[in-house]
Amino acid sequence: MIAETLYTGFGAWNPIVWLVAFAVAILLAWFIQRLGEPDIPGDGESGKSYISGNDEPSPEDGHIGGSNLYWGFTDAMKGYYARVVPLHTGCLTDYVLWFLGTFALLFIFIGVL
Amino acid sequence: MIGMITAAVVGCIGITVYGLLFGLVLQGVDRKCAARMQARYGPPLHQPFIDIAKLLCKDNIIPKNAVTSVFNAAPVIALAASITILLYLPIGSIAPVLGGWGDIILVLYLLTVPGLAMVAGGLASGSPYATVGSQREMVTMIAYELPLAIAIIAIAWRLNAAGVVDPFSLATIAQTPVWSVVGIPGIIGMLLLMVAMAWVTPAELSRVPCDTPEAETELCGGILVEYSGKNLALFTLSGAVKTVAMATLAVVLFLPWNLTWFVPLTGAAGIIADLVFFVVKVLLVVFFSVSLIRVGMARFRINHLVTFYWGYITLIGFAGLLLLVLDAVLGMGVVA
Repeated sequence: MIAETLYTGFGAWNPIVWLVAFAVAILLAWFIQRLGEPDIPGDGESGKSYISGNDEPSPEDGHIGGSNLYWGFTDAMKGYYARVVPLHTGCLTDYVLWFLGTFALLFIFIGVL
Repeated sequence: MIGMITAAVVGCIGITVYGLLFGLVLQGVDRKCAARMQARYGPPLHQPFIDIAKLLCKDNIIPKNAVTSVFNAAPVIALAASITILLYLPIGSIAPVLGGWGDIILVLYLLTVPGLAMVAGGLASGSPYATVGSQREMVTMIAYELPLAIAIIAIAWRLNAAGVVDPFSLATIAQTPVWSVVGIPGIIGMLLLMVAMAWVTPAELSRVPCDTPEAETELCGGILVEYSGKNLALFTLSGAVKTVAMATLAVVLFLPWNLTWFVPLTGAAGIIADLVFFVVKVLLVVFFSVSLIRVGMARFRINHLVTFYWGYITLIGFAGLLLLVLDAVLGMGVVA
């Protein structure tokens, strides 16, 4: 039955109860939103994005590409990436070698434990 | 089934009122404490209430480049998700409203939803500043989730090793202080996990030094730069409720004691005494994890933030986890 709570032996989880609570919370939040002033579609100066007085770029120029999306993370981890990226040679035999080597280590680890 | 749904509906309404009021009071206390530490008089305690009332009277301007539906829905989802977190957390000696229907792993997931809603709202703003802010918010979330998960899993694992039933249930964690089942290595481990948790709190709440997604001096508000009026009020309320949730989580994990465990009080007097004690503990957590840190530090750069959390704080968390494992393996404290 879909309404049954999942007991894992360690904790519990019932999605239906959460969904009901979330729906009620959405209604309450929406009610608070309705207390405010109505929307004003930005036109003219008020509709432009605020970028410290600079000219607003077109939406295409202001777009951040996927490669830049996690810049802070990739920059902080550049020492790690500098070692890992060269290992991705694109050569299938290299990948198979890594696969076999990793499994060999894994089996040794499991066997020892 | 009817009982479950009734509990969810009634509990949600009550918890919403509690979360909003207590959250705004906590923000007022935080601002007052920060001001006093900077030798300023500071705003009155009820200033956050005035700010919300003011924002609700202001126009809600939708930028020309914005995706209107997502732009308006994001603050509603952020507030609703923050409220649902509180439903799974105990308040003093009062059991969680939905405690039997969700555990601490669910809370861990729910804590990410308000942040994701902010990211969606920022990206829907159509502003370069908001887009950069959204990018930073995602990176910040990646940075602090690992140490938070380590702290939570370590405590639940140690309770399980001590033979406690339902170790991931928040009611169980609140009623069984992990300090009472660990030996000396476990106590040192718990202190290290407490340090990790104290540093995760400002990141989870986007407060200084982890306010890089907003960064007023460089991004002019970043992720929220285009938000005004009622939508900004909702994001502010979401932050207030999330402050209550994070402080409550820290109290449940590290300071779960109730006054009635030491003083023979029963009935309503006991519940009220435990509530007052709970409020004092929450205020202490907010003071040390939010006010003190934000007054004493400047903002991290986004790459420094990742290094700090994935390096130092994660290492501290792992050290705490290993000490708790060692504690159980060596048979110190309580072991099943």
